[in-house]
Amino acid sequence: MKIAVAGKGGSGKTTISATLARVLARRGLRVTAIDGDPNPNLGVALGMSQQRLGNLTRVPKEIMEVKEEGERRTLVLTRPVEEITAEYATTGPDGVNLMVMTGVDHAGAG
Amino acid sequence: MRGLLGELATGKQGEEVTITDMEASIEHMSRATVRHVEAMLIVTEPYFRSLETVGRIAPLAQELGIEHVWAVANKVRSARDEEIIHSYCADHGIEVGGVVQWDEAIQEADREGRALLDYEPAAPAVVSVERIADLLEREMVGTGGNGSSGRGDQS
Repeated sequence: MKIAVAGKGGSGKTTISATLARVLARRGLRVTAIDGDPNPNLGVALGMSQQRLGNLTRVPKEIMEVKEEGERRTLVLTRPVEEITAEYATTGPDGVNLMVMTGVDHAGAG
Repeated sequence: MRGLLGELATGKQGEEVTITDMEASIEHMSRATVRHVEAMLIVTEPYFRSLETVGRIAPLAQELGIEHVWAVANKVRSARDEEIIHSYCADHGIEVGGVVQWDEAIQEADREGRALLDYEPAAPAVVSVERIADLLEREMVGTGGNGSSGRGDQS
């Protein structure tokens, strides 16, 4: 399942994302939570400690680049995904893995 | 970011879930960025300005090929609030995937920097999220398989 939770800032989407992540993890699913919000709060909402979050490295924008093939533009990873998760993911309550993206990536827009 | 979402989906499917928390932003949604998203939950409060976000994002998400788009009503304090959301969504052809009521516990957990689930495991909001999880498990069975979700990925 690949789920995106969207909403305006303050709408409560982060609480819902985090709670959903842990609920699904408790049902036996392997959950990766990705914080793509310009103001990242998903880690705290998941119940991770400040210390653990402080040690977390954000996934840099450079991890992806836009590949253009004629009219098609796609985002491609510049490194294997296993490497990315190994380096940038941290495990929290109920085994939820968290990755936090760096700022807004305009390279992928359009 | 969404390319990463797609790549995470390779390999063993069915039991893997990725949940991406993202601001609702039309500028950053395109065929390239959402091609691997199978379901989008758009969280809205019972106010017109918030609902307008759903009204803008939902059609775009559908047009970009996201199979399942649901609005989630949040911070609902009354039957009237709930009705406002259902009414707007019905008028715009958007399904409501969940209703989460206003809950002081959410604020309190937030103030203490704790997860709602840890702060108050039996909170009504938690029950609502369990129902959303039920919906997802029900509606998204069979979208496992690397890229073979039956959608005929055209991006």
